[in-house]
Amino acid sequence: MAAGLVVLVASVPALASTVVRVSGWGGTDIAIVEELIERFVRPAVKPYDIEVKYEPIAEEFSGYLFNSLSAGTAPDLFYVDIFWAEPLMRTGQLEPLDPYLAKSNVLRKDDILPKLLAGFTYNGKIYGIPKDFNTLAVFYNKDLFDEAGVAYPDANDTWDTFAEKLRKVSRPEDGIYGIALPPEYARFGAFAYSAGFKLFDDNGKSDLSQPGFVEAFKWYTGLVKSGVAIQPADIGQGWGGGAFATEKVATAIEGAWILGFLRDQAPNLRYGATLIPKNPRTGQRGNFIYTVSWSVNAASKVKAEAFKVLEALTSPEAQQWVLRRGLALPSRKSLLNDPYFKQDTPEAKANLVVFQGASDGNVHPFQFGRYGGDWMTPVNEALTAVMSGEMNVDQALAQAQRQLNELASR
Amino acid sequence: MTEKAQEALTAYVFLLPYLFTLVIFFVYGFMRTFYFSFTEYNLFEAPSWVGLRNYAAIMTEPRFLTALRNSITFSVVVTTAQTVLSLALALALNQRLRGITFFRAAYYTPSVMSSVVITLMFMWLFQRTGAMNYLLTQVLVFRELIMAFLLGTAVLQGALVWWERRHGFAAAWWEPSLLVTAMMLSAAATVVLRTTGVVAADLEVNPVATPWLNTRRYFPDWRFPSAPIPLEALMILNTWTTAPTFMLLYLAGLQDIPRDLYEAAWVDGASAWQQFRHITLPQLRHVTFLVVTLGLIGTLQMFDQVAVIGDQAPLDSIITLAYYVYHNVFPGGAIPRIGQAAAAAVTLAVLTLAVVLVQRRVVER
Repeated sequence: MAAGLVVLVASVPALASTVVRVSGWGGTDIAIVEELIERFVRPAVKPYDIEVKYEPIAEEFSGYLFNSLSAGTAPDLFYVDIFWAEPLMRTGQLEPLDPYLAKSNVLRKDDILPKLLAGFTYNGKIYGIPKDFNTLAVFYNKDLFDEAGVAYPDANDTWDTFAEKLRKVSRPEDGIYGIALPPEYARFGAFAYSAGFKLFDDNGKSDLSQPGFVEAFKWYTGLVKSGVAIQPADIGQGWGGGAFATEKVATAIEGAWILGFLRDQAPNLRYGATLIPKNPRTGQRGNFIYTVSWSVNAASKVKAEAFKVLEALTSPEAQQWVLRRGLALPSRKSLLNDPYFKQDTPEAKANLVVFQGASDGNVHPFQFGRYGGDWMTPVNEALTAVMSGEMNVDQALAQAQRQLNELASR
Repeated sequence: MTEKAQEALTAYVFLLPYLFTLVIFFVYGFMRTFYFSFTEYNLFEAPSWVGLRNYAAIMTEPRFLTALRNSITFSVVVTTAQTVLSLALALALNQRLRGITFFRAAYYTPSVMSSVVITLMFMWLFQRTGAMNYLLTQVLVFRELIMAFLLGTAVLQGALVWWERRHGFAAAWWEPSLLVTAMMLSAAATVVLRTTGVVAADLEVNPVATPWLNTRRYFPDWRFPSAPIPLEALMILNTWTTAPTFMLLYLAGLQDIPRDLYEAAWVDGASAWQQFRHITLPQLRHVTFLVVTLGLIGTLQMFDQVAVIGDQAPLDSIITLAYYVYHNVFPGGAIPRIGQAAAAAVTLAVLTLAVVLVQRRVVER
């Protein structure tokens, strides 16, 4: 009798409620989203009889998403990375959120940082609400700088003073280098933007012979050629953060994603963070914005309910919880003055620097229009070729330009 | 129903599950691919017919041509290498030796390990600070000692053999027992030379830092039929992992050759080489056809090792046709190019079929 009653009670909400399927990627993200849903989303959507079903995808999330959108089996609410947002917006796979935002009293357009929202705006319509974001900052190992008696990098550094500090702190004979620089536009681009590089001209073409690009290219590869910097792969690491954790390099250029990694892999490393150095000629910094949105599937049958879940996932309380756990930076303007940022911990300070990076100098989203990642391949290969001494700067840039022209003519 | 028809029906019933998957996943899949290769399609909007434009586009695209050249070079080199190696291994493991089962298991191990795991281990070996460069550095550091040891061994072996022969023993130049003695004496001499400071380790040597993966260099330094160094690294890897499977096929083939053929040849005074050339090779012809066919198909469609190496090597120096297809279906951050990918996939299928038909003519002539 009692058991029967329990079954009856338990089955009633399941019959009445609407299921909203939510997807994101795997890794450490799963535990975070699960807790967000448990703490903030379920209580918030309970009155509307909405049941949230979380389906994380372990590998190849974008491949899975493109495939399932095409097949009509995609989830109702999912992550969209700014890196591949454009094709989805252009082909009408995402639901424009403006009508929903107009009616919402939890989430308004002007709650969100405009630079972030811009990455998910296409033809004047908003296709996603950024859940959080990241930019690049200089992370430095305090012990290595103290040992060498060199001042820490700071916000006043230009490329020249920064390189000088790195030169003083590096001891290649002992296997200690100033910085780990990967041959990738994803890091180098910040310096190109700092020197005034424009990704596309009015005709949508890229010109790598712009003085700013060449200047940044020579400086970046020159650090490696002079032995001040090393490629992460050359000390057996896949990325700058990995190299930084081994204490073989004094600095690394990464985003706030390095914080959790350092917490796990190098808990005793004394580090600080500062803004990317300025170009001495332009006096500007450059940076990338990396961000991910929650977007609603245009083909979903429960769009209104999915938006309710989206509201709860990006609510001030949810974002504050994420921020205070040191996981990511909030996309809501109102959290700028959160007491978290005033804490005297390396993580909180680093997060503040990453936060400031979004609005200091020539900041661009990590996005390459209709070319996607293919745009970066020729530039990455040119960086590799010069850093490993296979080509000189002119040869490498000429070859990269040829490849970009081919790409544009496709 | 006649008995014959009943038998045929039984066969089809047993084949049904396989035929079902064949039709759904291969026949239907191939027809769709064939259709898509004549359309412009991005997964989301309805495909639009463009005729042969995709084929024209890939034939002028440098990346496709690179992938085609890489695939063909890879296929020819690896198929040849793995066929020769697997035959050699099979001949070696067909001997009646003590502990032969151990060697059979040891040589077979690479082919049962996950190709992804092997590729990962391989990437560590070929890092700039990996085991490969470390070993080369050690050779450079100790080159004087190594030379002294090798020279000493050669001289001592010569002296020992000469001494044995002078005393009326028929010692061969490579006599193992003498070789071991020579090596031990030479090692002792090298230690003496080192302590007296005649030869020394060179600690000033710059560590070898050859980039094996992160490079676009060709070795040898010409375009065709040479290949980029990272692709050559993949060739070594692929040969090493696939040869054991083919070795098993050859081993089975060798056991099937009637012993009396060899006995008759032995009676006629045929040398070991003549026996191999005129009995073993012709008897193994069907196995060779199978090995070369499977090898060609496998190497032309090689994908996983390229995918795992990923960003560690420049795309153009490892891209194969199969990876080109994948790269066009999911181009990071851009819209899928299904039509172009399908055209490349059809080209790959036609190429595979053509190569297999040609080699059938050659082997089964």
